Amino acid sequence: MERLRRHPELQAWLILAIPVIFLLIFFMAPLLIVFVYSFLERGKYGGVEWVFTLDNIRRVFDPLYFKTFLRSFYIAIITTIVTLALGYPLAYFIAKSPPSRRNALVFALMIPFWTNFLIRTYAWLTLLRTHTGLINVTLMNWGIISKPLPLYGNDFAIILGLVYGWLPVMVLPIYAALERLDESLLEAARDLYASSGKAFWRVTWPLSIPGVVAGSMLVFIPSLGAFVTPAILGGGKSLMIGNIISNQFLGAHDWPFGSALSMVMMIAMLIATLIYFRWTKKSELV
Amino acid sequence: MTKTYAVELQDVVKQFGDVVAVNHVSLQIQDGEFFSLLGPSGCGKTTTLRMIAGFEMPTGGAIYIHGERQGYRPPNKRPVNTVFQNYALFPHMTVAENIAFGMEMQKIPKDEINRRVSEALDMVRLSNMASRKPKQLSGGQQQRIALARALVNRPKVLLLDEPLGALDLKLRKAMQIELKALQEEVGITFIYVTHDQEEALTMSDRIAVMNNGIVHQVGDPETIYEHPADRFVADFIGETNFIPVKIISLAPEIVVALGSGEQVVAGWAEEGLAVGDRAVLSIRPEKMDMLELNEVPKTPAHNTAYVKGKVTHLVYVGTDTRHTVTLGDGTEVVVRLQNMYIGEEPWELGEATIVTWNAAHARVLKE
Repeated sequence: MERLRRHPELQAWLILAIPVIFLLIFFMAPLLIVFVYSFLERGKYGGVEWVFTLDNIRRVFDPLYFKTFLRSFYIAIITTIVTLALGYPLAYFIAKSPPSRRNALVFALMIPFWTNFLIRTYAWLTLLRTHTGLINVTLMNWGIISKPLPLYGNDFAIILGLVYGWLPVMVLPIYAALERLDESLLEAARDLYASSGKAFWRVTWPLSIPGVVAGSMLVFIPSLGAFVTPAILGGGKSLMIGNIISNQFLGAHDWPFGSALSMVMMIAMLIATLIYFRWTKKSELV
Repeated sequence: MTKTYAVELQDVVKQFGDVVAVNHVSLQIQDGEFFSLLGPSGCGKTTTLRMIAGFEMPTGGAIYIHGERQGYRPPNKRPVNTVFQNYALFPHMTVAENIAFGMEMQKIPKDEINRRVSEALDMVRLSNMASRKPKQLSGGQQQRIALARALVNRPKVLLLDEPLGALDLKLRKAMQIELKALQEEVGITFIYVTHDQEEALTMSDRIAVMNNGIVHQVGDPETIYEHPADRFVADFIGETNFIPVKIISLAPEIVVALGSGEQVVAGWAEEGLAVGDRAVLSIRPEKMDMLELNEVPKTPAHNTAYVKGKVTHLVYVGTDTRHTVTLGDGTEVVVRLQNMYIGEEPWELGEATIVTWNAAHARVLKE
């Protein structure tokens, strides 16, 4: 004990040891397994045969799958942009509310998380369904439309579901950045002849970029890998890469190919993230 | 035609809900003047400044800047610039970008901006810091950049909200002198908000003393210190003894009676007091002297007060010693005597003494 007290570095390592060991076992090890599996041959009833092959990796770039890859990227990017466009004003509004009301608003933002994501997505299904969905039925009863709108079973439905699901995680980091923004900086900008619009673009926006980056990452990454939302709202027609991966494990029993898809997706995500960081870095984070 | 002031406030009122922050304030600030708003926190001085800047809109009254009524004009349309209490430097911009900001917003040509930025940096002697971020500067340097960022726009009036408040004492003293010299050099009207009376006295041409949203007195530093208009000003600026008295006569001369029955002459009485009223006699500690009982002249000078007392407390503070003397009626007064000679025979606790002062230094104020 005496020795421990005299070596603060040793203490730090001891404290760090627990999470490090935890991550090594439960995060790194599965990742390693996925990595190794993607170079093996599939077993007859799931599992793997320990034979090295590059076929799985090659198959990922087969146009059949690669197109889904690109579409997933497209859906994730649109989702991120829409979530940002909706989330930023919302975060701004909460941050500008009187301090006594802010916590209540943040709390309200979190309420959807109390219900299981799957249930909430099914709830959207009852709203969007083509012939029996609440929106189309109502609009047709009122005579506003004569044919049901294509609200379900397409990219629109998936993006809507993803935006709904990830909006809070976009709002929170932006809110955190805006909330600690010193009001006197805006006054200084106004005092220095900036209109309120100029003050926003020159002061508020650049200082909130760390929140925008964090929020975008938190939305983009799970959107890219989403499988519940496309499975339910995509109506089995509009699939994303997440559905194909889950199908390899749960349906097709092709673990190596599922692993290969996951590996490629992870690497793609990593590259996209790096590009995004590099791009936002230019706006000079504090 | 009436005279045009740099800034004129006419009967300005500011209410926040039920709270009246600024209560019918009227001020005329001359062009080129170093004008201070002095008062304790919450007195309305910062709100007054923020109304001139345009961050707050008055509930009533009018504000003129160089003869132009401001009305609801937003801050970016007013010919004033502000130095903020916490400097409010933009953390994501370099020092040079901070200074250039105001000129960029005014769409001044790029080469003129560059020239004026380097002039401004020269002025505050921080030319080598142009590409640093504000966080990399010390408090005093940040303060000077905030000043340069405001002055580079050549405003008609510079508003300063406790700009030296965050600096340590020594740096603050140095910056006071620097700021005053700078103001004289550029000739711009400065309106300076502070709660530090010494700072206000050192730097200002004129001072407005505020409390509870009301201006108690406007005057040059000497007037404010030597001739306080009321009890609040006398109490807030420097140290003062207040001796409870009753007014015996107001004309041809002012005579008041102390609780002990001793009568003294005073130099001035606040308006609105009548014979028989209770009031306080205000005298600065350094304006008083102490005599041995046998030192009182046989024929005392008419304009000099002599009051009996007993030494009850002594505090040596280096340059002088603070003597607390309890008068006949139990009132304690502080007498500051300069320590001019080493080895001077000091007063002793419990010793009887005569406290004396010139009537001209004694002012009768409302309780």
